[in-house]
Amino acid sequence: MAAESIDISDAMVIQPTTLGDWMIVAPVGVPILFAAILLMVRHETRLHAGIAITGLLLTLAANAALLLQVLADGPQVMTMGRWLPPFGISFVADALGASLAFVATLVAAVCALYAMKDIGATGRRYGFYPFVMALMAGVGGSFLTGDIFNLYVWFEVFLISSFGLLILGSTERQLDGATKYAILNLVGTTLFLTATAYLYGTFGTLNMADIARRVDAVRDTGPLMTLAVLYLLAFGMKAAAFPVNFWLPASYHTPRIVTAALFGGVLTKVGVYALLRVLVMMFPVERVELSGVIAWVAAGTMVLGIMGALAQSDVRRVLGFVVISGVGVMLAGLALGTEEGLTGTVLYAFHSILAMTALYLLAGVMKELGGSYSLHELGGLYRAYPAMGAFALILMLAVAGLPPASGLWPKILLVQASLESGLPWLALAILATGLLTTIALGRVYILAIWRNRPEGAPSGEPNARPGLGYVSLALLCIPIILLGVYPEPFIRIAETAAAGLLDPSAYIGAVFPVEAAQ
Amino acid sequence: MEAALAFVVSVFFAVAIYLMLSKHIIRILLGVSIFGNAVNLSIFTAGRLMREVPPIIPEALQTPDSAIANPLPQALVLTAIVISFSLFAFLLVLAFRAYQELGTDDTDGMRVAEPEGEPLPPLGY
Amino acid sequence: MTADGQWLTFLALLLPFAAAAIAPALTRALHHNAAWVLAIAPALIFLHFTGFVGPVSDGETLTGGYAWIPSLSVDFSWFLDGLSVTFALLISGIGTLIVLYAGGYLKGHEHQGRFFSFILMFMGSMLGLVVADSFLTLFVFWELTSITSFLLIGFDHSREASRRAALQALVVTGLGGLSLLAGLLVIWSATGVNSMSALLATESVLRDAPLYMAALLLILGGAFTKSAQFPFHFWLPNAMEAPTPVSAYLHSATMVKAGVYLLMRLNPVLGDTAAWETILPLFGGTTLLVGTLLAVRQTDLKLMLAYTTVASLGLLVMLTGVGSEKAVEAAVLYLVAHSMFKGALFMVAGLVDHESGTRDVTKLGGLRTAMPITFTAAVLAAASMGGVPLFFGFLAKEEIYAGLGFANGWTTMLTLVALAGNGLMFAIGFAVALKPFLGAKVETPKHAHEGPILLWLGPVVLGALGLVSALFSGVSHELVSSPMSSAVLGEAVTVTISTIPHIGMPLALSVVTVALGVLVFVMLGQGRAAMAGILNAIGWGPDKGFDQVMRGLTRVSFSVTNLIQNGRLDYYMTATFIAVAAAVLIPMGLYGEWPAVPSMPRMPFYEWTVLLIALIGLGAVIYARDRLTAIVSLGIQGFSVALIFMLLGAPDLSFTQFMVETLSVVILALVMTRLRLSPTDHRPTGEKVMDVAVAGTCGAALGLMLLRVTQVPFNSELSDFFTQYSRVLAHGRNIVNVILVDFRGTDTLGEIAVVMIAGLAILALVRVRSVKPIASKNGEG
Repeated sequence: MAAESIDISDAMVIQPTTLGDWMIVAPVGVPILFAAILLMVRHETRLHAGIAITGLLLTLAANAALLLQVLADGPQVMTMGRWLPPFGISFVADALGASLAFVATLVAAVCALYAMKDIGATGRRYGFYPFVMALMAGVGGSFLTGDIFNLYVWFEVFLISSFGLLILGSTERQLDGATKYAILNLVGTTLFLTATAYLYGTFGTLNMADIARRVDAVRDTGPLMTLAVLYLLAFGMKAAAFPVNFWLPASYHTPRIVTAALFGGVLTKVGVYALLRVLVMMFPVERVELSGVIAWVAAGTMVLGIMGALAQSDVRRVLGFVVISGVGVMLAGLALGTEEGLTGTVLYAFHSILAMTALYLLAGVMKELGGSYSLHELGGLYRAYPAMGAFALILMLAVAGLPPASGLWPKILLVQASLESGLPWLALAILATGLLTTIALGRVYILAIWRNRPEGAPSGEPNARPGLGYVSLALLCIPIILLGVYPEPFIRIAETAAAGLLDPSAYIGAVFPVEAAQ
Repeated sequence: MEAALAFVVSVFFAVAIYLMLSKHIIRILLGVSIFGNAVNLSIFTAGRLMREVPPIIPEALQTPDSAIANPLPQALVLTAIVISFSLFAFLLVLAFRAYQELGTDDTDGMRVAEPEGEPLPPLGY
Repeated sequence: MTADGQWLTFLALLLPFAAAAIAPALTRALHHNAAWVLAIAPALIFLHFTGFVGPVSDGETLTGGYAWIPSLSVDFSWFLDGLSVTFALLISGIGTLIVLYAGGYLKGHEHQGRFFSFILMFMGSMLGLVVADSFLTLFVFWELTSITSFLLIGFDHSREASRRAALQALVVTGLGGLSLLAGLLVIWSATGVNSMSALLATESVLRDAPLYMAALLLILGGAFTKSAQFPFHFWLPNAMEAPTPVSAYLHSATMVKAGVYLLMRLNPVLGDTAAWETILPLFGGTTLLVGTLLAVRQTDLKLMLAYTTVASLGLLVMLTGVGSEKAVEAAVLYLVAHSMFKGALFMVAGLVDHESGTRDVTKLGGLRTAMPITFTAAVLAAASMGGVPLFFGFLAKEEIYAGLGFANGWTTMLTLVALAGNGLMFAIGFAVALKPFLGAKVETPKHAHEGPILLWLGPVVLGALGLVSALFSGVSHELVSSPMSSAVLGEAVTVTISTIPHIGMPLALSVVTVALGVLVFVMLGQGRAAMAGILNAIGWGPDKGFDQVMRGLTRVSFSVTNLIQNGRLDYYMTATFIAVAAAVLIPMGLYGEWPAVPSMPRMPFYEWTVLLIALIGLGAVIYARDRLTAIVSLGIQGFSVALIFMLLGAPDLSFTQFMVETLSVVILALVMTRLRLSPTDHRPTGEKVMDVAVAGTCGAALGLMLLRVTQVPFNSELSDFFTQYSRVLAHGRNIVNVILVDFRGTDTLGEIAVVMIAGLAILALVRVRSVKPIASKNGEG
């Protein structure tokens, strides 16, 4: 090789990688590592739960450290291989990604705990915990990556892991649900890939910060509106927005309840995150043009979602539609695009991740104690298990947006933001959805918890010990009540996240620091 | 040249989508496979096309001395091919198992998760 | 407010919740005597707030609080003036008596501890509501009262009627809560302030604002639902399903007055307009009449009292609506009187029920010897309710007539309405108080005897208070009536009405009222029958409407959802791809992002051939008669794609495509030979046309977009970088490989993870077989 003097700083990052930089990849690296470890001890099923929970707790610690660092110093960047961005793949942790990753890992850890009871030896041997770890690697990667094709790869990682979790057990319902889920989601991610192809063809780069700083220059020549709408559709499918959310009610009620809990809490929020990142940060002008369309999509999703919940007899199917309704409310903030609206969306995302996972786990406990998932057969739970009645009440309040639980403040924020943006009809839709949610879950409460068990209905396990279920629910209800009673720190984080989206200069500046000598 | 490819891509998409609108799972899977090819062609074309010269640096040089094909979309397509094949393989086995358990490959007959004739929820209190 | 005062008030507001937390444990230890201990909490709160009576009656207003959510400008703050202090005293004072009453009423009940807990939580919520300064703090407490009310109404949850009533109350007051939230936000937006104290300082800003009507209607939505105004009144009688302590506390003395509280609080800034002075008396007057007429029909003691409570709330709203000085003073006096006498009467009704086993007034009689204390309390309370001189209710009645009068047609009508309502309420009040006690002894399910002190203490205290407060009316007015009236009117006033009746028009009207009341009392049986007849003739009411709405909601949701989510995958796919086509074509068209017409590409003939082969392969897949042909055609199109890659400078890609396509074809063939599939994919013509249209449009759209994209000037920065540094820094000659392994290695990491997980998932699919239950295959999740 000829000895030429090459200025490496033209191609690579010169500063050494600090420990703090490794924190940025830990949320992806640690789960993958633990997935590998779990695969190696595939047959020692007794060890699985401990290893997995350890791995998730380590990931949680890394997420916490990362979040604190981001809140103190702004967006943190690490580019793989130390290649200069935008040439290498950058991981960028800003307030939005880091906070969502933290909450998602928290619920995953609680689910891993509950799974100790819910998943038997067969399930573990055939990969339940490795799937969960891989899922969290994909989710973490999605929240933290700064490269749009890399985002596709992590989407596929968590998609295939979700396939694995869905089919584990191979019952007829699972296979049926998984078929619909898999095919529709495959269409969704392929649409995402198609949109990325178009984006690459237009911009020539895949780095999100690079796209954000080039977008104004490209607007004259590139078909950015079509691109934005295509991304809206692709991520809307992932987030289960109307009218492309068929996959969710077709499948979420089929797998083991702990899988449903993890899905209901985490997966759709990744789609919402992607919408925020792409439409608010990368294509802001296009988002403004689309705000009317997004508002209608939001209203349709939230109202049709909760109507779907009112129509169901199976508690899991009720919850699936409640997830959809929540996504609609989050999209309302996206439609508004103001700092207050986006703060409401992010805060609602925190609440929804916690509350929806907890609700599915509650359904699992109800099945264990009450013998069924159907409203036609459940009953008498309060009399026998008052603690469960208390958890059910808290979660009902949370999801209906009532005090003292977590759903209250995001709802207020979004209603206020709608009124201030001159969209009173959207505020009305949000409030009406809240009322209908109260009705839907109030009916579940009075039928399943208060009413005596109907004649002839199956009874729960006679010596049921719901201790693990109660512990899992308690671990989630604590942050839920905290969010309701003292939401200030969470609102601050959400505000930082929202501001960072609307003014991406900090994000871009972290990826492309302005060199002194240009 | 991109125009010709764009035309071919549109036919690929059309055929793939037509197949995916079928009621039979196997046809849907054929459609999925073609859909994947369509997207790969899209990525490849989006990176702009260049005849025949692969992006390989000749032995003696540090950088290529002539115009080469765009290497980046090729890498992206390679990743996409592998990922979509993994998904395709899974879907195929899923279809097979669904046929085994549910007895049909017609999606209209796969009504276990969302059965027909579901009753109303309890209307009382 | 001093720092100490602030801290103590904060503690006072939190004390009920703390007591609620220890109530279950305390009850397990002390059983029903826990009531004595728990009653200390509201008693202490009462004492704390009496400390404010002095400054407030001198015209001071006190504010205090702590920052709670600075990001939303929400403080945990309170605002103390005559209005809030009076309410606070009512809530804590009557609350003390109610806690004791609950101790006796639910003695021996297995969930008595829970009951105490819920009652105390309600007390804390109601207290917070009436003293709240910051808007959103008020809203939070408003909703908390609805929630605790739900828990209390549904306390006996094994009965469907209880559950129904609880849900009904939650939904109706919840609806109002949302209206209130919107109203408060509108007021904030219109005036720029978000606390009561600041709002009251803005004077006419809100009245003159363009958003005034919106704010008014939204606030009224909240107030009318909470205070059971017609047509939202139906939840209140149903709430009588709750144990009597709840009825006495929430649904007469406190919670239902929250709406009236709100109206009184906002009167200085929302009142004094034509809208206010028309809407409120209209709804209030209607409620007054409807409530009393419906009360006549009832035989259940609690329902008689419930409907008269509805009527009383109507009267309060009507008076607040009239808004003149005397009318407001009347409202204030009546509110205080009502809390005392209605609470007492409810507790009497509960006592009678508890001791004799029935609440049906037609089946009770002659209990005066068995339950003398109860009888005394009942008479005292009824006298105040009927407006008999020497009682506080009489002062209220006089002031009502003084405030209404015959000045014009409108006030005349209101006076007549008040007259009728008050007369009927006189009758009902005495029916409840006298009929069970006078006359011959009637045999009751349980052998009736006087209740324990825990039960009669409350009614006796409240009944006596109704008398004492009137006898010492000067003190009452100075400490309670005047400060509260001043707060509601927004200017200092002094209430002067005294116990000694003055000859005048109000007295005449009071006489007429009493006469009417006596008449109805005597003819109550006939009146009841007449009302029953009328109501049966009408047949429908808002209560039935509620059930219809609930059922209808479920039915409509069911139909709509089954329409959209119909369980068929091909429908889902069609809808999705229609969305895709729309998503690409519509913006392209609207924003002019069409591609330019391209020039005819000049390609050598072999390139055209390869493209043609690809197209033929595609066509063959569709038209293939049997599966094997379809698979082979699939292979053809896959290989032609590989050839395309090869021709366009992507040998690695070509190689990978060949391999993957071969694998796909092989495993497809393997799987398909094991399935017994229908030979062709026959679609009915209509469906075929639809599918072709959708597929064709999508294909065209995506192709056009691709063409458009390639017409953008290309930014080759990344590719140039990779080309430049691939060998120099990354030491590789095959640039694509270097990208995969070095420049974009993370993608490859993910890709490998996908392959690994796919393998694991396939293993799980193949190896795990579900155990089918023998009996039936209903979904086992």
